[in-house]
Amino acid sequence: MEQDRIEGLMDVIASTFVMLNGNEIDIPTAGKLLNAMEEVVGEARVRNMEALAGAARELVALLESIVLERIDPGEGASRFAEGLSSLQAMAHNFIEGEEAAMRGGNVSVQIPAAGEGERLPKEEAGGEGEDDMSRGMRTGADDSDDDAPPFIVQDESLLRDFITESLEYISEIEINILDLEQNPQDKECVNAVFRPFHSIKGVSSFLDLKDIRDTAHELETLLDRVRSGELTMTSGIIDIILEGADMLKLMIGSLQEVLEGTRRRPMAPDMSELREKIDRLEEEGVPPIDEKPVKKLGTILVEDGVITEDILEDALKRPEAKGGKIGQRLIAEGKATPKQVMGALRKQSKQVMETSTVRVDVKKLDDFVDMIGELVITQTMIRQNLLRQKVSDRKLMSDLAQLSSITSELQRTSTSLRMVPIRQTFQRMARLVRDLAKSVGKDVVVMMEGEDTEIDRNMVEEIYNPLVHMVRNSIDHGLETKEERRAKGKPEKGTVRLSAYHKGGNIVIEISDDGRGLNREKILQRARERGLVGESENLSEQEIYKLIFMPGFSTAEKVTDVSGRGVGMDVVKKAVEKLRGKIELRSTEGEGTTFAAFFPLTMAIIDGMTVRVGKEKYIVPATAIRRLLRPGRENYTNVASKGEMLNVMGELLPLVRLYEIFSVEPAYREPWESLVVVIDAGGRSKCVLVDEVLEKGEVVIKSLGGNFQALKGISGGAILGDGNVGLILDPEGLFELAEGQA
Amino acid sequence: MNKSSKVLVVDDFSTMRKVIRNLLKQLGYENIVEAGDGVMALELLRSQKIDFIIADWNMPNMNGLELLKEVRADAALSRTPFLMVTAESLRDNVIEAVRAGVDNYVVKPFTADVLSEKIAEIEKKYG
Repeated sequence: MEQDRIEGLMDVIASTFVMLNGNEIDIPTAGKLLNAMEEVVGEARVRNMEALAGAARELVALLESIVLERIDPGEGASRFAEGLSSLQAMAHNFIEGEEAAMRGGNVSVQIPAAGEGERLPKEEAGGEGEDDMSRGMRTGADDSDDDAPPFIVQDESLLRDFITESLEYISEIEINILDLEQNPQDKECVNAVFRPFHSIKGVSSFLDLKDIRDTAHELETLLDRVRSGELTMTSGIIDIILEGADMLKLMIGSLQEVLEGTRRRPMAPDMSELREKIDRLEEEGVPPIDEKPVKKLGTILVEDGVITEDILEDALKRPEAKGGKIGQRLIAEGKATPKQVMGALRKQSKQVMETSTVRVDVKKLDDFVDMIGELVITQTMIRQNLLRQKVSDRKLMSDLAQLSSITSELQRTSTSLRMVPIRQTFQRMARLVRDLAKSVGKDVVVMMEGEDTEIDRNMVEEIYNPLVHMVRNSIDHGLETKEERRAKGKPEKGTVRLSAYHKGGNIVIEISDDGRGLNREKILQRARERGLVGESENLSEQEIYKLIFMPGFSTAEKVTDVSGRGVGMDVVKKAVEKLRGKIELRSTEGEGTTFAAFFPLTMAIIDGMTVRVGKEKYIVPATAIRRLLRPGRENYTNVASKGEMLNVMGELLPLVRLYEIFSVEPAYREPWESLVVVIDAGGRSKCVLVDEVLEKGEVVIKSLGGNFQALKGISGGAILGDGNVGLILDPEGLFELAEGQA
Repeated sequence: MNKSSKVLVVDDFSTMRKVIRNLLKQLGYENIVEAGDGVMALELLRSQKIDFIIADWNMPNMNGLELLKEVRADAALSRTPFLMVTAESLRDNVIEAVRAGVDNYVVKPFTADVLSEKIAEIEKKYG
């Protein structure tokens, strides 16, 4: 008989309790009672005996309070006895089918406040830790709060062990935290960082090292909140943890000096700043690193039409909402049936499953992507071979077409495996913006857009430095001081906007500020002073902006008074170009400046133009190509002081003979016979002479082994569709080679 | 259980094991063995007779709760008194251990008095 299950459980509970013989409820008994009572709750829920489930749940909470010593054990036992007899009566009535009579019935168990609700409100849980700490201190062997008596070493060997072991543990933290930064959601990663703090805290309290204990406690609490899901791991938290670990290292290190007698007391650094940072973390609500957020249960219920938004809002608003589980409360209030909530819960967990991931060694992934690159190339080679041999077997050709579509799909998927959202990079920068702004006394809000935009994992580290440079520039020079802003009628808080999006095989990252913008006149004036521009030369707006990227435009001298821009922007441009990217600039004076950096999505593929010189093939990165032209004889001049030049739309640009640089035999030697690619790099443009342009498109990059790696002017190799190898030109290096020759 | 009982202290932090060992010595226990995590603890438990386990909750490889569950599931070990050491005062954790059949728990940092009180309760129970 189905009903007997609850009755049976009630019997077990009653007899277990009776066995205590009026004594307080000890821990093992409490454990047994809890397990049985939880079964009653579950069983009652399944059978829709909500009132019974609720009453049993209250007894579970009471037992938990007893276990956690939140209630006097004697009082707890007597309350439990009372509650148990009402529950028995209730269960009996229920089972008799007298449900109607039950509605009036109520179990009169009074549970202390801390035990109420499904779960402790988190704030209280945090406070709990504090309580335990102070309890520990009260009962501690030594609780003197004296001013500066020397620290007395009670157990030297223990202290020595502690110093050695703790320092080891801290260095472990520093290693593990890197893992954590990569896998902020991984519980084991959080735990690996949590554990050392926890252990250090434990031992330091025995050794009466209060400051060390407090610091470790602070960090442990922070991590615990991450572990429990209350806080989401962010780069900000990681920074705080590292800072805290450094503090601990100093403090523990100072113990060594105490042991040696060179120090009276262990170092006690000021914790207030760390605490402040932790508090600030909450206020600012740094966006989490996590990927797709799991939908809230309430939201799912609303979407399913089970409850209205008003009901949800109402339920969330009430004070107990902080601790309780929304689903259980909605059931208790009759707003949703257990079945509906279960359904929603299942949907929710399915979501979790959908976002679940597998961790793979990056090396394996790289190899995998590499092999697929080879596959694509081999496939193309076979195809071209067949074409060359004029094979016209239709079946073969259609199979080959099929193979080719599969391989290109495979290539797309494999590339996407290495893609990660740019979010983490943005968050690191957001933090940087805040820190920088604070250090220069400016008030800045950071806005982010397109954090989900994906980029090759291998690119993430590469683009970080140039981006940092740009952000620094915006804060340092782009944004005005509070006073200036106020005077101009702008909001005092400046805005820095980070946005990312995909555009034609590139990821574009824009950094904009609403600061003073660029002053064209002043840039031009400075460029003239530096001899970068002739006195009479007229430049377009874009050309003027480009000046700030020129080496030599800015020096160590302060440039804030010139345009507010220019500190080492040539370095940024170089770094971006090294990644085969390019940089653009937009600005409106008085309104702000936007840097747009275009990076390739991956370092594994390059979008380029394949050109031929004699028998050799070269790939020119598409980002460096300004234009293609076939010059006329009249465009060519040979100026004694400057060398060979070509007139490109009224601009005289140096001519680079690729065949001379790489010593190959060209088909044509005269510019008007051959083709010219105008290439931009490092703030200058040159005309590069080639025989022929073969094709434009993506090629898979193969790194050149050994000696070739240091080859100037060449950044890598690529296997071309016909199976031949092409060399990828490094425009910057090429220009330097050309300049060296001249 | 008496003063000549063999006590197993499980904690990954060796200094912490030493602290507990010292406290146990103060209480008159002489026969003490140590393990650095749950896995090592289980090996010891299965290779020699151990009368009482004091284990930290948070350890790598196999944590205290997992160890407790292993012990309770093993017919030969299931009746070994088990004291859990935890600093995680979040109640969910302790309740979980209580449900898994822990004999008592002690919250770090504890004093010799607290530890001896808990041990006395267990001694009383197991005679």
